[in-house]
Amino acid sequence: MPKRTDIKKILIIGSGPIVIGQACEFDYSGTQACKALRSEGYEVVLVNSNPATIMTDPETADRTYVEPITAASVAKVIEKERPDALLPNMGGQTGLNCAVALAKAGVLEKYGVEVIGCDIDSIETGEDRELFANAMRDIGLEVARSGIAHTVEECEKIADELGYPVVIRPAFTLGGAGGGMAYTHDDLLRIAEQGIALSPESEVLVEQSVEGWKEIEMEVMRDSAGNGVVICSIENLDPMGVHTGDSITVAPCQTLNDFELQRLRDYSIAILERVGVACGGSNVQFAVNPDDGRVIVIEMNPRVSRSSALASKATGFPIAKMAALLSVGYTLDEIENDITRETPACFEPSIDYCVVKVPRFAFEKFKGTDETLTTRMKAVGEVMSIGATFEEAMQKAMRSLEQGHAGLGADGADDFDEEAFEEHVATPTPGRILYVAEALRRGWGVERVFELTKIDRWFLSRIADVVTAEKAIAELGLAGLTADRMMAAKQLGFSDAQIGHLTGQREDTVRAVREVLGVRPCVKTVDTCAGEFAARTSYHYFTYEAGGVTEFHEAEKPRVVILSAGPNRIGQGIEFDYCCVHAAYALAAKGYETVMVNCNPETVSTDYDTSDRLYFEPLTFEDVMNVIEVERPAGVIVTLGGQTPINLAKRLKAAGVPIMGTQPEAIDLAEDRDRFASLLDRLEIAYPPSSTAETVDEAKSVARRVGYPLLVRPSYVLGGRGMGIVYDDGDLVSYMEEATKVSPDHPVYLDAFLEDAIELDVDALCDEQECYVGAVLEHIEECGVHSGDSACCFPPFSLSDRIVAKVRDTTRRLALSCHIRGLLNVQFAVRDEQVFVIELNPRASRTVPFSSKATGVPLAKCAARIMSGEKISDLGLPEEGRDLGYYAVKEAVMPWSRFPGADVVLGPEMKSTGEVMGIDKTFPKAYAKTREAIDYQVPQSGTVFVSVCDRDKRSVAPVALSLVNLGYDLVATRGTAKTLRAAGIPCEVVKPISEGSPNIIDMMAEGKIAFLINTPKGHSSRGDGFRMRSEAVSRGIDMATTMSGAVALVQAIAALRQGPLDVYALQDL
Amino acid sequence: MHFFGRSAGAEGETFGEVVFNTSMVGYQEIVSDPSYAGQIVTLTYPQVGNYGINEKDMQADRLHLAGLVVHDMCYEPSNWQSVESLPNFLASRGVVAIEDVDTRALTIAIREGGAMRAAISTTDLDPESLVARVRASAPIADHNYVADVSCDEPYVVPGQDADGQPRLSVVAYDCGEKRGIARRLSAAGCEVTVVPWDTPVEEALAKDPDGVFFSNGPGDPSSVPSVAEAVRACLGRVPVFGICLGNQVISMAAGATIEKLPYGHHGGNEPVMNLLTGKVEITAQNHNYGPVFSTFGPLVPELSGGVSEHPADEDLRFWSSRRIAPVVQNERYGRIRLTHVNLNDGTPEGIQFLDVPAFSMQYHPEAKPGPNDSTYAFSAFAKLMRGEDDYLAIDVREGRRF
Repeated sequence: MPKRTDIKKILIIGSGPIVIGQACEFDYSGTQACKALRSEGYEVVLVNSNPATIMTDPETADRTYVEPITAASVAKVIEKERPDALLPNMGGQTGLNCAVALAKAGVLEKYGVEVIGCDIDSIETGEDRELFANAMRDIGLEVARSGIAHTVEECEKIADELGYPVVIRPAFTLGGAGGGMAYTHDDLLRIAEQGIALSPESEVLVEQSVEGWKEIEMEVMRDSAGNGVVICSIENLDPMGVHTGDSITVAPCQTLNDFELQRLRDYSIAILERVGVACGGSNVQFAVNPDDGRVIVIEMNPRVSRSSALASKATGFPIAKMAALLSVGYTLDEIENDITRETPACFEPSIDYCVVKVPRFAFEKFKGTDETLTTRMKAVGEVMSIGATFEEAMQKAMRSLEQGHAGLGADGADDFDEEAFEEHVATPTPGRILYVAEALRRGWGVERVFELTKIDRWFLSRIADVVTAEKAIAELGLAGLTADRMMAAKQLGFSDAQIGHLTGQREDTVRAVREVLGVRPCVKTVDTCAGEFAARTSYHYFTYEAGGVTEFHEAEKPRVVILSAGPNRIGQGIEFDYCCVHAAYALAAKGYETVMVNCNPETVSTDYDTSDRLYFEPLTFEDVMNVIEVERPAGVIVTLGGQTPINLAKRLKAAGVPIMGTQPEAIDLAEDRDRFASLLDRLEIAYPPSSTAETVDEAKSVARRVGYPLLVRPSYVLGGRGMGIVYDDGDLVSYMEEATKVSPDHPVYLDAFLEDAIELDVDALCDEQECYVGAVLEHIEECGVHSGDSACCFPPFSLSDRIVAKVRDTTRRLALSCHIRGLLNVQFAVRDEQVFVIELNPRASRTVPFSSKATGVPLAKCAARIMSGEKISDLGLPEEGRDLGYYAVKEAVMPWSRFPGADVVLGPEMKSTGEVMGIDKTFPKAYAKTREAIDYQVPQSGTVFVSVCDRDKRSVAPVALSLVNLGYDLVATRGTAKTLRAAGIPCEVVKPISEGSPNIIDMMAEGKIAFLINTPKGHSSRGDGFRMRSEAVSRGIDMATTMSGAVALVQAIAALRQGPLDVYALQDL
Repeated sequence: MHFFGRSAGAEGETFGEVVFNTSMVGYQEIVSDPSYAGQIVTLTYPQVGNYGINEKDMQADRLHLAGLVVHDMCYEPSNWQSVESLPNFLASRGVVAIEDVDTRALTIAIREGGAMRAAISTTDLDPESLVARVRASAPIADHNYVADVSCDEPYVVPGQDADGQPRLSVVAYDCGEKRGIARRLSAAGCEVTVVPWDTPVEEALAKDPDGVFFSNGPGDPSSVPSVAEAVRACLGRVPVFGICLGNQVISMAAGATIEKLPYGHHGGNEPVMNLLTGKVEITAQNHNYGPVFSTFGPLVPELSGGVSEHPADEDLRFWSSRRIAPVVQNERYGRIRLTHVNLNDGTPEGIQFLDVPAFSMQYHPEAKPGPNDSTYAFSAFAKLMRGEDDYLAIDVREGRRF
């Protein structure tokens, strides 16, 4: 059927902020959908609160609303835009849930909006576990035996019937949030309570466990004519029991034979039909018993998903784009395969390589939480790698992670817990794969490891092959590695660094020897069809082939290589990918052939049509040099992908690679504390007294000189990794002991900590002659909270013009003195009218997308143009300090609920996973939107709990008074109550938790508490505050943990009282 | 061109026509498919043998392929059904195989140069000498491989219950029939008497079958003119169904020209549209030869959407994009309808005779390996034998029934 002409305007709902379980894969899919629908002539209206996305660029959709994804807010957009149709399945679970809410609220019916791509009933059948189980039984498929429960008692009853272990899965939550495996009755009580609390419908499924079975996923597409195709099969290396988002996964499926796989294909398509997916993509998960092939259906997601993004990248088949086209009436046979451009999209990709995905975790940021992987997703990002074999891809994936490993071990970075070694092999954790490899290295044999892990013997045998080869390489030595043997080692995925470690040589020496031997990788192409048809796109990977043939082709145009940011992690996420994508767009427009290098399958940068050429490769020196050696670019961009490419800059330059924009020398100047301090001295710019130390004694002497409190951190890190505030020698010593692990080659920085200062983030452009200050952002939280975790506002809402002018001037002087060519970010602290420079980052910062959207100036594109030789004066930029007539607020999104046991408090180490943006006429309204966008429920009445540390006692009274005036009742701890009563503010006193009931925990349990204001003192303690904050997180009760945050929250509540907030399209600002 | 690699099967030397297959699983069915006689098969998926060899998925008792080329052979398979590793199996069956080859480079060479003569040798390691001997070797069309792979004696595959319908009896001409076909026919309610390829047609018809089936098989169909003769004898007398080589001999019987495709279709992901339903099925294919649709005869415009000329480029996607199943007037058998088109390259994949009870498919509806979408073809044959008119417009979902 040709496309529909009865609809003209389509609303797409995005997925909101990056959270665990829902990351930038939905930016990738949403952007594809927007592009596809617009190219078909439809007008696209987009709602997404996440500013760091390509989809919310004003050019991506016709009408872009950076507004909260709530039914109320989207209803306003619908009222204003009157779309004909709603495409709800591009925005993950958030998008689907919002669509269901809009349907239930009657909004869709009222405005005559048709849901396309799927229907509300099918969403419910797919998501509601009981409906789904019944549907599966209808078509004769087996599901795990289970029961639905709404109370803990019901859970106990079902578990008794099924027998332990059981899996508990809450209905309608992201990435299985709140679920888990219960082995005992105690586990059950704990998980069931949490699951019921987290499910919006207070509903959980208690299910028979299939732990240890193979977990297989099928990515399926179906069109309205009933044609069904399987795009990709994915086998989880980690068997059932670990959430697929936390599992190492492999595509295509490796250990099922044709009969078994075709059976799953038949099931998958039948499931889509039964659930009622009219058209689009879905993900179906199966458990397969490794002993007899018995199949159980686990779940299906009637939407594009993380797995579908992975499948798209793994095969070259753009699932989201196809799903969008199908939703407007096309059938699969009517759509062309982008890659071959001569065959239709109605086929099943055949791949001739192996793809491995490995998740990246951030447990080190959440001390106190259990690292065991369960059915509840905890990964914050992932890498994908492509190799001719599983062995090669697995090793490439391990080095793509950027966690200090050059492969599957054998790199000198191993650090095993000998006492609990066997337990580490048996228990799924982020590091388990390394223990598995080590166990095989120690000769445990495949059978013993299989018994402990249930990882399929095929995978274990392959890993055993790798570790066996290590021994041979070490015995031969570098001199003994003939061309054939070197080739064999590279085919098993060994990096030069690993071979160097095994043979006691430097990585550079290995590379040089390898060059002499003529052992080089070949360029191969991802083409959806295993070479059967010619590919028109340049989506590549490297692999080693004996006598292999490269598929590299020359280009007429000069080439620019853009190094992107690798896996998402806390501190380095989608924002950097955003910058790289913008650079690709800007440089392509200037006539360059753009070449992207990245290994993150969730991103827009790894979409094959973002740049002219894509190399899906790890961002290590070796792998990047492989690209550079074949492409011979005119320049390489290293300053847009965060710290990952910055860390490579020096070595690349030393290898003779032309670096575009800011040079490594300038990067070094900004990152070398001593050199930077002397620059600041020379420019007479104030900065907090600081010093560096390599030993504990040195650190203590710095502390005596500078005075406490001190902000301490290791050098060359991003996201405040390993950063802390220390208040005395005791803190300092324990910090130094841990810090040595963080970054052994670099010293520790110690800065005087400016308590109560206002922090500013500045994003600016410089061309070595002129500097343009794009945005000055004022943080809401005071200094000491990592800038990535702090909310911030553009333009500054509490600073005088004089201060802002001084900040601009200082930025300019610094940028020119550091010879920046491109973007820079400077962090300032303002205290007592004094402006201090905290740090300068000679690269794109995390706030670039927000700054660009808030100001309407595409900073990353401008930076790319500057790097390619244009001048700021050529760019036609608007005046710096112009009045825009609105405020834009960015707020960080915290993953607390995923890490029970970790303290819920903001500090100098970044912990947020994503951000939202709110735009409105005033700061309080804009801030209120960010709260809504994060889905914090702020009840408009009830009781507020207030407990502040001594430092904040003076400033708590005005906040408390406002709350009383807004009609809230107050309860406070004894100390805070005393302050409030002294100010004549009525409040009730609650007992400390340690003194028994009734205390604040009980009050929260009774649902009496609307929200909390709790500012912990200094460094976190494991006392009442910790328990209370954890309780609030598990109950979804909002809280402010800083005074400035509390003030902003109260202002936001007051703003909401004035009536519902309006929505604004970026295109109208 | 040449590649060095390691032996991954039997020692020795083999000559044949090198082709590639893009199926990611199903190597056991592929190596045991008699249609590969005379061919050296390159598997594009790089790691082969992962789940070993089992007892139930064999497509023939003996292996007929000339040789196997893979990137990486698995010596330690893992699957509950596995009884043996693929390399051991190949070695014990005397099949020469090679691994550690850049199979993608080889595949692209075949795509660009067409299916070509090749050799694998563990004895002659001098590329020049081996290439010279390949150049001197006979092309695949010179030999009747059907005679090599067909059964020696007739045998019967009993039929299963199919929705309470009476059993149908089918005679199947075995030109290299995959076991999966007889099983699918059996599952559709047919008792199948498999007979050697050169069985005199009178002998076959003397069994008074409800239908006659012509199987897939290796090589050039022009090397088996007698089978085309047998088809001619059957057409109009008894319902006829053919698959792959069967489709080619049925086409030859109707006087159509058979062409050799540049590098053939070998894989499990080929999209084919059933023009009668407009549905696309993902099919398993394994052929180098196929009929040219326009040579069946001139179009009948009133049955072809008013179109009177065959598309000049022979690209039959002309019809699939219009959802028209065109009909030609054949000199011998009257009206013949194009029922299936390959959407990748617009070649014909299925025809239906409107004035005699017969139809055939160029692809493999039995899959093995490949998707089950086209299994309906066997029910269609059963319906045809029961005299139903509208027997071929069956939704692909029927094939995926489980």
